[in-house]
Amino acid sequence: MSEALQISNLHKRFGGLIAVRDVSFSLAPGEVVGLLGPNGSGKTTVMNMISGALPCDGGTIRLGQTDITKMKPHRVAKQGVARTFQLVRPLPTLTVGENVLLSLAFGHRRHWGREARELVEEKLAFVGLAGRGDEQVSNLTYIDQKRMEMARALASEPELLLLDEWLAGLNPSELKIGIDLVQHLQGQGMTVLLVEHIMEAVRALCSRCIVMSAGEVIAEGPSAEVLAQPAVIKAYLGDDHA
Amino acid sequence: MTMKPSIAFPVAAAVLAVLAAAPLFIPDYWTGVLLGMTGYVTLATAWALFSGPTRYVSLATVAFFGVGAYVVAVLNEALPYPLVLLSAAGIGMILALAVGLSTLRLAGVYFVIFTFGLAELVRQTVSWWEVNITYTMGRYVFLPFEGRHIYWQLLALAAVTLLISWAIGRSRLGLALKAIGDDEVVAAHAGIDVTRVKLLLFVISATLITLVGAIQAPRWTYIEPSIVFNPTVSFMTLIMALLGGPMRLWGPALGAIPLFLLFEWLSVSFPDHFSIILGLLFILIVFVMPQGVLAKIDDIRKGGRA
Ligand SMILES: Nc1ncnc2c1ncn2[C@@H]1O[C@H](COP(=O)(O)OP(=O)(O)OP(=O)(O)O)[C@@H](O)[C@H]1O
Ligand SMILES: [Mg+2]
Repeated sequence: MSEALQISNLHKRFGGLIAVRDVSFSLAPGEVVGLLGPNGSGKTTVMNMISGALPCDGGTIRLGQTDITKMKPHRVAKQGVARTFQLVRPLPTLTVGENVLLSLAFGHRRHWGREARELVEEKLAFVGLAGRGDEQVSNLTYIDQKRMEMARALASEPELLLLDEWLAGLNPSELKIGIDLVQHLQGQGMTVLLVEHIMEAVRALCSRCIVMSAGEVIAEGPSAEVLAQPAVIKAYLGDDHA
Repeated sequence: MTMKPSIAFPVAAAVLAVLAAAPLFIPDYWTGVLLGMTGYVTLATAWALFSGPTRYVSLATVAFFGVGAYVVAVLNEALPYPLVLLSAAGIGMILALAVGLSTLRLAGVYFVIFTFGLAELVRQTVSWWEVNITYTMGRYVFLPFEGRHIYWQLLALAAVTLLISWAIGRSRLGLALKAIGDDEVVAAHAGIDVTRVKLLLFVISATLITLVGAIQAPRWTYIEPSIVFNPTVSFMTLIMALLGGPMRLWGPALGAIPLFLLFEWLSVSFPDHFSIILGLLFILIVFVMPQGVLAKIDDIRKGGRA
């Protein structure tokens, strides 16, 4: 059975700093996997390499049967990879609806015209922004901007969704809504790679976790087991707590 | 500006018809003014096609404009006129492709400086070529056109340019351009081939600009590099588009009309201070209404209601 995403021996250097060292892991279709690790451990860098934003210095990335290692971001998107950004990046001159329309028009599946407008409305409704397509992005609250970014990612009907701390910065009730939303996607069979610091979310969403520290994978396995490993606790909290 | 297409098209067609008939009823001097104005309406609209949404401020306008005029000067006796225009468009397109491929990766002020340098480079190259290779200092354009013939051609080109701008604004391409102007990274991750879109628009815009130069060439009769590669053309185009608002279909045109008339008057009344006044106006527009007058009017209207 082919993996949805297979990463082998990924490497990334920034000058003298090795940000990602020999990272390998894979995601089965329909799996929601957590990518954890302390600040600066290389999680976003891995996401950036998968989505084509950063070139790899070594290793390969396969999406299903396709080698996407050297593809530019727009080609990776067309292959069916969608992402959100650690810091939300709404497009301010576009309306909320146009932000979503963008990835419908250019993403994995291409839609335009009436059909696209209906799909925009559908995606907005899914994330809880029903009927707000004509609003200016600047009117949206922080969580609504995050919702819009999710709708934009989903609009391309991706095969793989990369969420980089999508739940960060939400208050407890918003967090619950966010978790529900990802669970809903999980129910629809979406494959998700989720970078997250909020353990509550990781426990609720991820059957499996990969933990990075200083650019390397230090643990991998079922969430409950991995989160209890001394090496993981130590990486997160420092030596004193191990 | 938000007329329904069902009304806007007949209105635009009627305005076009009136403008086309105008030379039959007005003195030649005013046909000349209309001609110059239509030229700048086209330049500003074509400029904004690329530079408006992408916010890549190009000062290469006169490079393409001048190349258009020069192609006509060189070929006007060798080829039938339609082929001369076609050659000008083709050469403008190739030049735009070469420039685009080498510069669209530059960002912000580097792009501005490069395009300014490019205009100068093209002018120097043409001068050098004429002096050292062809031994001609200037060229004559012998085409049997009067002012109104040139004006009609420019009017048609202006209509085509506005139509292209309108069509792009409603298309996927228009959406892609706006997204690129906002955030190239997000645009790319949404599946847009950012480099290709920018290149395509730059080429369309530059080809139209080249054609303005080509069509206007017979007006000078005598052409030399310092005439057709005058950097003022680039700056005026830029100011006009900025004044009207480069993100709107009619913005550049509405900026071009009053400014052209103002510049006409200034260059006649204050020929010595023209450049200084141009510079001051430029600064004023950029500071007071960076989004253009149309946006300013919108703001004021919204402010009044709130
Ligand atoms: N474009 C870049 N240029 C230079 N160094 C970078 C670049 N991007 C990331 N780094 C460095 O690479 C390392 C890994 O960064 P990365 O953003 O991948 O960490 P992260 O795990 O996502 O951290 P966080 O939890 O804070 O988001 C850090 O030391 C960071 O400073
Ligand atoms: Mg990160």
